[in-house]
Amino acid sequence: MVTGTTRRLIAVVLLLQSSLAAADQIWWSDSGRYQLGFTSQLQPIEINRMHAWVVQLRDAAGTAVDGAEIEVSGGMPAHDHGLPTRPQVTAALGNGEYLLEGLRFHMHGLWQLVFTLEAGDRRERVVIELEL
Amino acid sequence: MRLPRSAAIRLLIGSLVGAAVVGAAAWQLAPHEPPPWSDAERAVLRSLSLASLPPLPADAANAVADQPAAALLGQRLFFDPRLSGNGAVSCATCHQPALGFTDGLPQGQGIGTANRHTPSILGSAYSPWLYWDGRKNSLWSQALAPLEDPQEHGGHRDDHARLISDDDHYRASYEQIFGPLPDLTQPHASTAVFVNIGKALGAFQRRIQIPNTRFDDYVASVLGEPAAKQQQAFSNDEIRGLRLFIGKAQCVQCHNGPLLSNHEFHNTGVLAAPGQLPDRGRIDGWRQLEADPFNCFSDYSDDPQPVCAEQRFARSGAELLGAFRTPSLRNVAQTAPYMHRGQLATLGEVITHYDRAPPAMIGHNEIKALKLSRRERAQLEAFLHTLTGMPAIALEE
Repeated sequence: MVTGTTRRLIAVVLLLQSSLAAADQIWWSDSGRYQLGFTSQLQPIEINRMHAWVVQLRDAAGTAVDGAEIEVSGGMPAHDHGLPTRPQVTAALGNGEYLLEGLRFHMHGLWQLVFTLEAGDRRERVVIELEL
Repeated sequence: MRLPRSAAIRLLIGSLVGAAVVGAAAWQLAPHEPPPWSDAERAVLRSLSLASLPPLPADAANAVADQPAAALLGQRLFFDPRLSGNGAVSCATCHQPALGFTDGLPQGQGIGTANRHTPSILGSAYSPWLYWDGRKNSLWSQALAPLEDPQEHGGHRDDHARLISDDDHYRASYEQIFGPLPDLTQPHASTAVFVNIGKALGAFQRRIQIPNTRFDDYVASVLGEPAAKQQQAFSNDEIRGLRLFIGKAQCVQCHNGPLLSNHEFHNTGVLAAPGQLPDRGRIDGWRQLEADPFNCFSDYSDDPQPVCAEQRFARSGAELLGAFRTPSLRNVAQTAPYMHRGQLATLGEVITHYDRAPPAMIGHNEIKALKLSRRERAQLEAFLHTLTGMPAIALEE
């Protein structure tokens, strides 16, 4: 018999699996000092839906980086316009994870998200490309 | 018999010309069918179909949003001209069901002349933003503004609240839905009743059905029926127009999803009306939203823990100068004239505008010239005419 607890455990395992799968793809900062991955709360990502991401930040050796200031901008290079929203990191979750809220994409095509990171005395940039 | 060489050449040329003429005529007459849709195109078509419309998003800010009694009260109020300074203007004066909930005029005409073209309200419950500039972010809150706009209904909340109080029918409905009517001589009592008028109007507007169209039938046939049957649903020109819509003409970039709108703000270089200064659009709408006592964080919201993600993470900035909300293309053939000031009289003029993509008068025009042929423009227009159905208002007494 599958109890409620078991069901919750299965759900957690499935979520972790999807999180690991998504984090398989990482993007490096311009200098190669940081690596950044993300897990979207909305999977697959659809246009016109407000959602959040958990962003995972690690250094080159793979150690979680906490205490970073993260700003996000971006847009669609082909259409010469920016993001339709102003996404913001609203919580540091620990273990190098940050909650990024306020994401919504309003067109199909290639999107660019530019993460500006400030950790310690360094300012770095990570550019993510996303085809929707 | 041997023909002289010159006669043979003449015969040969004659035969070639004849074959060319016959061939051209056959090409014109034969039903040269558009190529079949690819899997990727079929997925796009499915995403645009009414069958892909999700259930109505919940409206936690309006506790009566899904109450039939509130929708019925809202329907009566929507058509009641007593909700105006001169007793002659109702919501339906400008939002006429037979015209896709618009009025056929460049600018709305209430007690005076409104600043902009009356937008349709079809599907508005799905949009995070209302008005051309998105200065409202809920149906109930939007419904309040025209009631007190001097150019539109030209009334005052005290008078609107008194109408509910003085009309036995309204009073009974109101008290059944919202509880006892407050003493209107008390401070803020009129505002509380006024807000509930907005919530009833919002409940009504949520129930306006988005009509099925020939386009939706065509998509259903593309997804489920053999090619021969598809030909019966759409003409070749309409099919080619649809292909342009999702392809070369790039309309689908902004007119996406089952409502054919991304509900976002774009500067597409639409010229100001003659003699008028360019309209600043969203850049001002955003400021008005932030200052609005009836916005998503309003004390009059019924949501105890408002999330308001759209408002919290709304962008501002220069890109929004001269930007306007993408209108839904549902029933677009009924909503002429077009654009925020009704500057363009026909769908043909709209297509010509996007085909040329003039520089914006203020801000930056996001679109680039399409350079369609005359034939392609006609095909695109033919397709746009398939997006209209009969709006249904079906509320039972």
